[in-house]
Amino acid sequence: MAEVEETLKRIQSHKGVIGTMVVNAEGIPIRTTLDNSTTVQYAGLLHQLTVKARSTVRDIDPQNDLTFLRIRSKKHEIMVAPDKEYLLIVIQNPCE
Amino acid sequence: MVGIASPPLSSALEAQGRRSPRSAQARQGGAISMATRVQPRQLCRAGSAGAEALATGGAASAEGPGRPGPLQDETLGVASVPSQWRGVQGIRRETRSCQTASIATAEKAAQTRKHVDAEVQTEAPVPVSVPPTSLHDDPRLAAFLRRVEAMVIRELNKNWQSHAFDGFEVNWTEQQPTVTCLHTLGYPPAQGQGLHVTSVSWNTTGSVVACAYGRLDDGDWSTLKSFVCAWNLDRRGLNPQQPSAVVEVPSAVMCLAFHPTQPSHVAGGLYSGEVLVWDVSNPEDPLLWRTGLTDDTHTDPVYQVVWLPEPRHSHRFQVLSVATDGKVLLWQGVGAGQLQLTDGFALVVQQLPRNAKLKKPPRGETEVGATAVAFSSFDPRLFVLGTEGGFPLKCSLAAEEAALTRMPSSVPLRAPAQLTFSPHGGPIYSVSCSPFHRNLFLSAGTDGHIHLYSMLQAQPLASLQLSHKYLFAVRWSPVRPLVFAAASGEGDVQLFDLQKSSQKPTVSIKQTQDESPVYCLEFNRQQTQLLAAGDAEGTVKVWQLSTEFTEQGPRETEDLEQLAAEVAT
Repeated sequence: MAEVEETLKRIQSHKGVIGTMVVNAEGIPIRTTLDNSTTVQYAGLLHQLTVKARSTVRDIDPQNDLTFLRIRSKKHEIMVAPDKEYLLIVIQNPCE
Repeated sequence: MVGIASPPLSSALEAQGRRSPRSAQARQGGAISMATRVQPRQLCRAGSAGAEALATGGAASAEGPGRPGPLQDETLGVASVPSQWRGVQGIRRETRSCQTASIATAEKAAQTRKHVDAEVQTEAPVPVSVPPTSLHDDPRLAAFLRRVEAMVIRELNKNWQSHAFDGFEVNWTEQQPTVTCLHTLGYPPAQGQGLHVTSVSWNTTGSVVACAYGRLDDGDWSTLKSFVCAWNLDRRGLNPQQPSAVVEVPSAVMCLAFHPTQPSHVAGGLYSGEVLVWDVSNPEDPLLWRTGLTDDTHTDPVYQVVWLPEPRHSHRFQVLSVATDGKVLLWQGVGAGQLQLTDGFALVVQQLPRNAKLKKPPRGETEVGATAVAFSSFDPRLFVLGTEGGFPLKCSLAAEEAALTRMPSSVPLRAPAQLTFSPHGGPIYSVSCSPFHRNLFLSAGTDGHIHLYSMLQAQPLASLQLSHKYLFAVRWSPVRPLVFAAASGEGDVQLFDLQKSSQKPTVSIKQTQDESPVYCLEFNRQQTQLLAAGDAEGTVKVWQLSTEFTEQGPRETEDLEQLAAEVAT
């Protein structure tokens, strides 16, 4: 559907964004702007990390829940927006 | 009265014939004449006392011990000793016989079963791929994206403007503050002959460093025996003066290169123009392949050898050799230890691209001697040659034009040059292509300058003077895009970080005490903090670099791009 593609295009064209992908609840990528092998790697690893992060937050406080996950590394920043059925992963190279 | 009739003569003769000790008649005392041999036979009438005495003399003595009788022959019984010689040790013989039980035999037949060929084949794994878009997912996906889009965009914006992490760096590894010398390796017999280290090479696992001994300042043919030594740095009990493998070579070795995948195969180029491949893990017979001295081999010293993947079978490799006779040759190992020429290029002055002004070559010389080669990491067919004339050449393995050379060769030689860069002030000894940028390469020559070139233009982007003497080697760092190292004739290894300063070296490591030149250096690609350098004293020093040379900073690749984009107009 056009709306999905347009939204992803808007996110992808933002300043410094290297790649965008959408992953479903099982960790299988549904949409991506990167090549296959990189996508599969990011999807698998970040899905596991998100599950772990969510359980960490809820263990500390059962009333709380994970809303956003950011990983900052030397080379870029990975942002994960979690949901019940999907994950949106965006990789950005911030200006330094 | 003596009237005994003497027995008739016959009886006397009989008595004579008989040898009986006594005769009854003698006892009788009669007139018996006992005739013996001794005595003449004398028949005498009985009654003569003498005869009687004679006759009965022996008998009388036999009868009793009276008076000894005269000698008489007697016949005694046979005295015999029964022989005991064989009697006691008699061999007892018994006859016995034995026989094995009869062999039982039986007939049996065996036969292979029938067999059937079956093939098994695994299915190629289906690569996990992004499944194609499916319509029924979209409404929920669209709703999800609508929900998160605003938040994501907000975060992206914040990130772009944030200074929260400016200058924030995390130390994950222990910081190495200075450059230290880990090992000083040498081979005393080679050092005793005054040989220089002409080339060092790390193997594919990064644990073995090999060096070649030869001389770089001899101008004439030398029959000096030289060595290729290898040290395994990961082995316990490493003795710096005793290499773990030594290969004796009949001529000076000018260059070395380890095989990209086999940890113990190393190729070397000799002063005589030959190219050899050794297996340093086999001490008895290390020589694997050689080119021999045929029409195809180089006629001048081989200055550099490089391993290249074969065009069709990328797991097999061939050797490329570069020599000052102007030829660039590709060799393939075929059976029986022979390296065979598969492809070749020749550099001829007339065929060089005329875009840069070159000095007129001396009359009669048409070959351009090549002294260094470096392959681009982005395009496997593109390579840069450093020449004796001081100008680097951009060349391609796919060049088609035939070379106008008179040198004999079994394979047609081609002219590889596509672009001539502007020259140094003297011959080039080393070139190195950047592993991070497809267009940048460095060249170092005898004028003591380093030139940074871009493949797109003939003029260098930057020219740095590092030394007042020759520069023998230059290498880009495999981990930091802006760092390179150079070996100088003044005995030091200079490390440049273009991010910090483009004018002077960041670190200058003094390798030799008496300013004898450092001839070669190589970074270790597996253990990126190690750098090996060989000098004219015959020692190889393994330097451990500080972390500032091994850890990539945040924006280095971009800075490199920026540098490359400074194309002078």
